[in-house]
Amino acid sequence: MSELIINTAQAQNSVNPILEVDDLYVSYGAIQAIHGVSLHVNKGELVSICGVNGAGKSTILKSIAGVLKPKSGTIRFKQVDVTGKKPEQLHKIGMALVPEGRDIFPTLTVEENLRIGAYGRYKPKTYAADLEDMFNLFPILKERFHQAGGLLSGGEQQMLAIARGLISRPDLLMMDEPSLGLSPTRVDQIFELILELKGRGITILLVEQNAKRALEIADRAYLFSNGRIEYAGCPKDMESSIDIAAVYLGANEGGNGV
Amino acid sequence: MNGKILIEFFINVFSMGSLYALIALGLVFVFGICQLINFAYGEFITVSAYILYFVGTFTSLPWPIVFLIAILVGVAVGYISELVAFRPFRGRSLDALLVTSFAISVILQNMFQIGISPRSKPVPVPAVLAQNINLFGVTTPLRNIVLIITTFVLLVVLTLIMKYTPLGIAMRGASENFVTARLMGVPANQVISVAFIICGFLAGIVAIFWSVRTGSVEPMMGGTPLNIGFIAVVIGGMYSLPGSVAGGYVYAFISNTLSLILPTTLLSFRDAIMFIIVITFLLLKPEGLIRGSYQEERVG
Amino acid sequence: MNTKKNKTLETTNITGSCSQFDFAGKWSTPVFLIIIYCVIGFFIWWLNIPFIEDIFTSSTITLIMVLGFQMYMGNSGILNWSYVGYAGIGAFLSAIFSMEPMLKNLQLPTMYPFLVDLHLPFLLALLAGALVATLVAALIAWPLMRLSDSVGAITQFALLIVINVVLSQWSQVTNGPRTFTLGGSRKTTYELVMVVAVVVIIAVFMFKESSLGLKLRATRDDRYAARSSGINFVAVRYVGYVSSAFIAGLAGGLYSHYILSITAASFYLTQLFVVLSMLVIGGSMSVSGAFFGTLIVTLARQGLSQVELGLTRSGFEAYGMTEIVVAILMIIFLIWRPNGLTGGYELNLNSLKRLFRKKKHKLVIDQ
Repeated sequence: MSELIINTAQAQNSVNPILEVDDLYVSYGAIQAIHGVSLHVNKGELVSICGVNGAGKSTILKSIAGVLKPKSGTIRFKQVDVTGKKPEQLHKIGMALVPEGRDIFPTLTVEENLRIGAYGRYKPKTYAADLEDMFNLFPILKERFHQAGGLLSGGEQQMLAIARGLISRPDLLMMDEPSLGLSPTRVDQIFELILELKGRGITILLVEQNAKRALEIADRAYLFSNGRIEYAGCPKDMESSIDIAAVYLGANEGGNGV
Repeated sequence: MNGKILIEFFINVFSMGSLYALIALGLVFVFGICQLINFAYGEFITVSAYILYFVGTFTSLPWPIVFLIAILVGVAVGYISELVAFRPFRGRSLDALLVTSFAISVILQNMFQIGISPRSKPVPVPAVLAQNINLFGVTTPLRNIVLIITTFVLLVVLTLIMKYTPLGIAMRGASENFVTARLMGVPANQVISVAFIICGFLAGIVAIFWSVRTGSVEPMMGGTPLNIGFIAVVIGGMYSLPGSVAGGYVYAFISNTLSLILPTTLLSFRDAIMFIIVITFLLLKPEGLIRGSYQEERVG
Repeated sequence: MNTKKNKTLETTNITGSCSQFDFAGKWSTPVFLIIIYCVIGFFIWWLNIPFIEDIFTSSTITLIMVLGFQMYMGNSGILNWSYVGYAGIGAFLSAIFSMEPMLKNLQLPTMYPFLVDLHLPFLLALLAGALVATLVAALIAWPLMRLSDSVGAITQFALLIVINVVLSQWSQVTNGPRTFTLGGSRKTTYELVMVVAVVVIIAVFMFKESSLGLKLRATRDDRYAARSSGINFVAVRYVGYVSSAFIAGLAGGLYSHYILSITAASFYLTQLFVVLSMLVIGGSMSVSGAFFGTLIVTLARQGLSQVELGLTRSGFEAYGMTEIVVAILMIIFLIWRPNGLTGGYELNLNSLKRLFRKKKHKLVIDQ
């Protein structure tokens, strides 16, 4: 099932695709979760995957990251076929996933969390500079450097999770619902941060239930429903197709955050 | 209380506790990383003990070399058994893993019986370890002191490794959340292999101190250390390394205290009372004394 | 049996779905199993070879053990590592109750006087022994029921160790590590074990099909979902656990009056391994699995023992080969067929029909 491409100018112009997913089928045990999904992310782009809860957004990220093995289809990363590779192998070649629900290591300190984040791609010479960079982005982490991750607040943990993904200088940063469960102020901060990361040229694949905010900053977006892509294209075009918006975005207004 | 008895008491508690702590550590290292209870751990110990017998009896190598070989074989057994017997089961249900490790334990035990002998074999004890020394007016076998010191050194080294090396950090992270650790590039195979290597290493050390005390090795000898490990882990906590160590020492403490305070008529009950105490631990605090990083959901 | 034609549902009996349509079909399982068992029993009786009769009797006792184990494990999904300990308790206690005081004085000089004086007729002694085992389980089990997965397994195994140590150390009750000799003649007869086996098959199956069994299976599949349906999974597990301890105690009592001398070691790892092997190979999710597992593994073990004996006689020390082969078989099954030969299905009219029609659509059992 090929993706529906609205913006024809972009259609054949897959400039330097970092990630290409082709006709992917993934199942959880006996349940078919992803049905023939194809998508791509170009270098420097911010691509957003939106859809309601259970649409398969997290599943597709996990499949790309190697946590779930696809039944069929291919995944190409930097033009190399990586279908079925293990998560640690993918991390090594430049794919980083900031998992859903933050998932930091609670008994490890901030320092140790970050150190693990760089585990697969650790370069002793540049690590100190990389750390400094993280401190610039997230000053709070410097403050809490030696504290256990479990003691941080929800927002701080999200910062840590993102920093943990960034510190390995990935070629593709994937984020699974980073704004989930955060207060409105924090949500603003997160999206500002994502924009800043985009400004730095980092390629980002963002899964978000908060479609309104996600579409504001994305270059392109995919709308997921029941494990399939229902719509793909530029946010501008999406907002003009009101019926799609009503069906797939309506439920997300003020859906999360505390 | 007589000071001499007190000193003897403490030496016994610390030496016994050290051995128990080492046994428990071997179990918890593997358990913490892969949630697997290694029923074959007793057999890892037995293999190393048999090496002590074979190399010690049939070669004239000096005993430090014999000990080293036994430890290295322990490491090899740990690594190989993970590669061959446990890795194929990764991702299976927990019960399948447990039953498999139980089956492997049975296979090894019977292989010892058939391949070597159902009867026990003598393990040569180095003369220097067999002698007694006089410490603070108390006579005690030298091996007890060596055991205490060795364990202390090992614990320090292991703590340093787990706390300050990238591998240690990775292992601690993996024991908290294996999938997320892999997402950070922590190689699953490597981390699990290391856990088994440490387990085999500890098994080798335990084999040395165990068979030096008993002077023999036989196919089923792994059962007792395994039991000790289980009980120590139940007391101290199955999800934390410090917990298992504490469990070993607490177990030794309770056991020796009972030996000391029970009137002679009840002494034969020492083990039974010990185990009633353990049952009480089980019932009141099944997660053990020291909370670990991962808490099993308490539902109900 | 004409109601079969009206059925549109294929009941799988993996979850023991209580479809009314299939009532008769489901209950054909204990009927089939009992028929098969009695046929074997009758055939062996007709053969009139004492050696084979003995094997049948002891295998039946094992069958009862395995059924009790399956009752809890198949429905709750929890492997009860402490199970054989209760068999030990039943074995010793029933022996104490059934032996004449004079005999106890002679054979077991260290026993508590009040235990020496206790004397019950054999069948009552059996029941009493099983009840003591049940009582112990009832007293200890409650706090352990909320534990699952690895913590649960470690705890149950530690409990087994404790029971074993107590049984092997409490000289005033069990003669300590020394052998407890019952003396006298074998009270567990061929007929008795057959009756008990038939009763237990029916009982275990009834448990499975009862509402309690259904609730237990709900907790197996998803404890949180079950809880929100109002099932108190701790209570449900508790009842299942204690009930299976009763069957273990009963089997233990039958065993001690069959073999006439026991030690604590007979109810420990070796026995646990035997029970596990039968369930792994036969299939732990169904009563038929327990039955056929016992049948097949018993036959295999007998055959292997003969081979072992032959090898040993011709000079090769082969004692222990049986265990190795059975263990390897177990591992193979765990890899290729974790649900055993029966794969969670029961032997009933439906499954037979399926077999004969050679239908291709085998329902996938998810792990």
